[in-house]
Amino acid sequence: MNQFQYVRPTKQKAAIDALAKDTSAQFIAGGTNLVDLMKRGVMNPQKLVDINKLPLNKIEKENGGLRIGALASNKAVAEDKLVLEKQPLLAQALVAGASAQLRNMATVGGNMLQRTRCYYFYDTAMPCNKREPGSGCGALEGINRMHAIFGFSDKCIAVHPSDMSVALAALDATVLVSGPRGDRRIPFADFHRLPGDTPQKDTNLEQGELITAVDIPDGPFTKNVHYLKVRERASYAFALLSVAAALHLDNGTIKDARLAMGGVAHKPWRLNEAEKFLVGKPATEETFRQAAAIAMRDAKAFKHNAYKLKLGPNSIVQALKNATAVA
Amino acid sequence: MPKQPKGVVGDPMHRVDGRLKVTGAARYAAEHPVAGVKHGVLVTSTVARGRIKQLDTAAAEKAPGVLAVVTYRNSPKVPGYSDAKASNNPRVEGQEIKIFYDDQIHFYNQPVALAIAETLEQARYAASLVRVAYEQQPHQTDLAANLSKGTEPKKEKDYSRGQAYAYRTAPTHLEQEYGTPIQVHNPLEMHAAIALWEGNKLTVYNKTQAPKLAQQDLMRMFQLPEENVLVHSPFVGGAFGGSSRIWPQETAAILGAKHVGHPVKLMLRREQEFNLVGYRPRSMQKMGLGASADGALVGVTHEAFGNSSQYEQFAERIVHPTKSAYRTPNMNTVYKVVPLDVSTPCWTRGPGESSGSFALESAMDELAYALKMDPVALRLRNYAETDPENDKPWASKHLRECYERGAASFGWSKRNPAPRSTRQGDWLVGQGMSSGIYKSERQEATAKARLMADGTLLIQSATADTGPGTGTIMTQIAADASGVAPEKIRFELGDSALPPAPIQAGSHTATSVGSVVHDVCVALREQLQNLARNQIGSAFSQVPPTDLVALNGELQLAQDSSKRLSYVDILKQQNLPMLEVTRQSKGGPELKEHSGKSFCANFVEVHVHALTGEVRVRRVVSVVDAGRVLNHTTARSQVLGAVVWGIGQALMEQAVIDHRYGNFINHDLAEYHVPVNADMPEIDVQFIDKPDPIISPTGAKGLGEIGLVGFAAAVANAVYHATGTRVRELPITPDKLV
Amino acid sequence: MADEKPGTPPENAGHDGNRRDFLKKSTLLTAVALTPGPVVHAAEAAWDEKVAAAFEKVPLKLEVNGVKHKLSVEPRTTLLDLLREQLHLTGTKKGCDYGQCGACTVHVDGERVNSCLRLAVMEDGKKVTTIEGLANGDKLHPMQEAFVKHDGFQCGYCTPGQIMSAVACIREGHAGSEGEIKEYMSGNICRCGAYSNIVAAIQDVKNGGQKV
Repeated sequence: MNQFQYVRPTKQKAAIDALAKDTSAQFIAGGTNLVDLMKRGVMNPQKLVDINKLPLNKIEKENGGLRIGALASNKAVAEDKLVLEKQPLLAQALVAGASAQLRNMATVGGNMLQRTRCYYFYDTAMPCNKREPGSGCGALEGINRMHAIFGFSDKCIAVHPSDMSVALAALDATVLVSGPRGDRRIPFADFHRLPGDTPQKDTNLEQGELITAVDIPDGPFTKNVHYLKVRERASYAFALLSVAAALHLDNGTIKDARLAMGGVAHKPWRLNEAEKFLVGKPATEETFRQAAAIAMRDAKAFKHNAYKLKLGPNSIVQALKNATAVA
Repeated sequence: MPKQPKGVVGDPMHRVDGRLKVTGAARYAAEHPVAGVKHGVLVTSTVARGRIKQLDTAAAEKAPGVLAVVTYRNSPKVPGYSDAKASNNPRVEGQEIKIFYDDQIHFYNQPVALAIAETLEQARYAASLVRVAYEQQPHQTDLAANLSKGTEPKKEKDYSRGQAYAYRTAPTHLEQEYGTPIQVHNPLEMHAAIALWEGNKLTVYNKTQAPKLAQQDLMRMFQLPEENVLVHSPFVGGAFGGSSRIWPQETAAILGAKHVGHPVKLMLRREQEFNLVGYRPRSMQKMGLGASADGALVGVTHEAFGNSSQYEQFAERIVHPTKSAYRTPNMNTVYKVVPLDVSTPCWTRGPGESSGSFALESAMDELAYALKMDPVALRLRNYAETDPENDKPWASKHLRECYERGAASFGWSKRNPAPRSTRQGDWLVGQGMSSGIYKSERQEATAKARLMADGTLLIQSATADTGPGTGTIMTQIAADASGVAPEKIRFELGDSALPPAPIQAGSHTATSVGSVVHDVCVALREQLQNLARNQIGSAFSQVPPTDLVALNGELQLAQDSSKRLSYVDILKQQNLPMLEVTRQSKGGPELKEHSGKSFCANFVEVHVHALTGEVRVRRVVSVVDAGRVLNHTTARSQVLGAVVWGIGQALMEQAVIDHRYGNFINHDLAEYHVPVNADMPEIDVQFIDKPDPIISPTGAKGLGEIGLVGFAAAVANAVYHATGTRVRELPITPDKLV
Repeated sequence: MADEKPGTPPENAGHDGNRRDFLKKSTLLTAVALTPGPVVHAAEAAWDEKVAAAFEKVPLKLEVNGVKHKLSVEPRTTLLDLLREQLHLTGTKKGCDYGQCGACTVHVDGERVNSCLRLAVMEDGKKVTTIEGLANGDKLHPMQEAFVKHDGFQCGYCTPGQIMSAVACIREGHAGSEGEIKEYMSGNICRCGAYSNIVAAIQDVKNGGQKV
């Protein structure tokens, strides 16, 4: 690891200023991903701006919704009474992620900014357009068992690894950011990017912009929700594929639905068409199968991830079944 | 031998080093305080084959705190490297990899430089500044694409009895291909070494399963006499075969220490663990089984390929279970090793046997279905009363009882044999079984026993304790044989200066070292008895030795326990400051006249998610015949560990090579999955616990590996029973079942 | 930066570039003045970096196992390496260095964390408990006793991390059932496979009602 400057501002403006002028600087909060990447030489910031002194860890009711501070730990959010009451899907997704230790350290903002787990991104000896634009995509013709089936480009087929973000995408969250040019609100669907020709950019954050909070509007998804994570071992593994499912049921009829998938695209993959299909239908396995087929319409596989074309719809069905079964 | 009171062998005694391990006081390789130690970080190659074209260390050398960057250009010489014989590790055919020797690259992540600095952070940074350019040459890392290059290994010859390929003539026969991936030991303690030169005396702190072999490797490499090489390895943070020889990190630390004139400490990074310290080779196997309608095996053929490196030929016992497991008149085995541009594999828990038994025990299950026979009944139908490989009588075999107890405890008779016949909610339920066989041998070992004037007993032998609880069971054996209470005994291991012991591997520590510890303590006790009987005026002078009982550090008259004489008093009467006995032991000719094996029967229940294909092992019954159980707690733990390894091997462990680059891509613990706590099923471990009369005086047989042998097949068989899908290529991941 | 108060750690644990350059140059000049010319000439380029290195450290106050430390560390030093290499508390283990095994688990202000992923400077002013700080003198912590009693380890390398995690697991209220314990202990890999015994040890302590 190279030497770097370390500063620990107590005011938000100072933190933002520190990054605004210095493209080699990075914010650090939980550090669970950044420190790992620095150890492997994947990221080499010249300056770290420790934002842990900023007062950004509250979880509170706000404007008919829930506001979660960017520095709230994954554990704090997963076990927060308000979250469990209003957005149990989010709590489930958080608990499915990482380990108890990592959830103690990791923050909401940092979780959203996790980098992909693509093998080629992580290994500086391999080509990767995300790590080193122009060097090529190792996964495209390589081992792509974990990789995308939606929204990829010929530059990058990596997937986003966050579980929490899949739930936030399903729940129509909004990301609050503060930057050199003031504050703005980014709808969750617009927060992460598809790779296109610039896979090095994971998100639409601009230089110096700091995530301050996430807003989740209150909704009817307080009971019939399920976060399904498919993995090779029973815990502490990144998803082969995951599904966040939320249903608003009325006497067995679906009044409203939310669906998003993880492990299938460069960003959490919201299934809008499938959701629309579900509304007004009976909550049966047959309905779920049809919705899953709609969800998978544009999916395309590579050499090693064709199983996702089947695992995807199956997991959607299972997640919806589990969400329905909640008594 | 005088009859002794019930001893402590067999008791579930707590580990003698437990307190050190739970308080963090146990010191592992990188944790020994060595004054003036500097930190080394390895730079490793990013091509699988070629030569170093350019090597720029200038920036690294200028970095803060850096003492030196050692490369082939400036490295001190390893004297043994110039001699082909000295470069041949006697346990592997070929020439070992030479560290910082020349510009040639033989495998990916081969060490090319060692950055040495005052602090770890500085060394790590300096290593990142070393620039290496390679002239790349085409490499071959794919076993499947290179089978034609396979040759019969020097250490594992083809085997045949009766007619080869006779299975094809049987009324019911099958021929199937099976594969196992590269499995990496991945002990939790990453390999590390501290090297220290004092003149031409070399001291190495490392993690080794074999302090004496490590010492001999270093003597050979550095052409030093025995007294000039010391290896300290009191605690080993997991090994599983991966600490069975001197590896590059030790050599690099030694060369670095010589170069800078200070001790050097070096720990591998997790990704380097995949290339630098061995692994279980990939296997591709073909099984042919033929049987008559009643299930009697007509013929068995097992062909196997495994990979090795270009510079060494590593062979393993992959076809051994096949040769000895079942009675059949016709049998042949073929094994070929394929050299690839990778590092040399090495023994990995249940070496060979666990890969080979996956094919054999899967095929037996397939044969049972083909014959519409119960898999246990098929195995009993072909039960071998003597070793089919050589017709020798077994030293002991209680496998039938393993099957019976296992089946009863598991509830096997309630199983509906039809595949996909049982479902619980969203999960398909399947049950499968297998049996395991693993060699149980004994090697020569030496131990020293020293009774101190205060009545405490020190036993020394240069064995290791990588986790099985060696120090604990040796203490128990010593207590029973010597008559000294276990809390007054200290067993020293993990140091090359101690009396020689074999490597802790191949499940032979309890038999080899246990036997000599038994023998040396019996000899000590006999000397004490003689001293007591020969003492003028002794109450015991006329007593035959058979009437003397040794207990709690005293000799007692068997008929009258009020007549007693303490060991402390015996030494005092004789004016002896201590009493020391050394014994070497290797067992008698009966070992060669018998076939020594341990056995097990595994019963496994899996749940397979009907939609996602996730497999979870829910229930395991493992019944083991490993002779007499020396410590029920640590023995059970050994089998629990084997089950965890079996689950890993069956369901998730797989080091994947991108053959374009010739390196593993999932080279860390986030992407190479080993089981976690949540993967643990309910595990019922049972022991037959009958002493083996041949292999060792304690009655013990080998235990470390047996629980793993065949286990992955039991899981695969259960998955077939649950789903109707037969997975013949491990691991059984959701993508193969969805 | 507006909110930084130079020289008053930990509020400002950093340092700005100008001050650093000045110190680097002035010290180098001092060193040059005291050393014969040819030596300086030969070593100058390297010295520039090496002298600078002395000023790359930042102050750090840390309480480890009840002992207060005033330290000076490089920002890139992890809590794990600080404990093992500088404070010689080698009970905390390095098993992967990437947050993927849990062997380095310690408590920071009472919460279990992977010390390999924490930069030591980020823990300024905090209290760290390692395996060496768990026992009460010679009296083992109940969890340590339970690990010995239930044979919750084999090689012992993951053990300190397992025990620190196990204590936290109970304190957090995540030891309610066998299933919950398994899930909340899954961040600690045991390659020897002592998992069942670890769960038994935790249940024993939980059910024993001793204060953890």
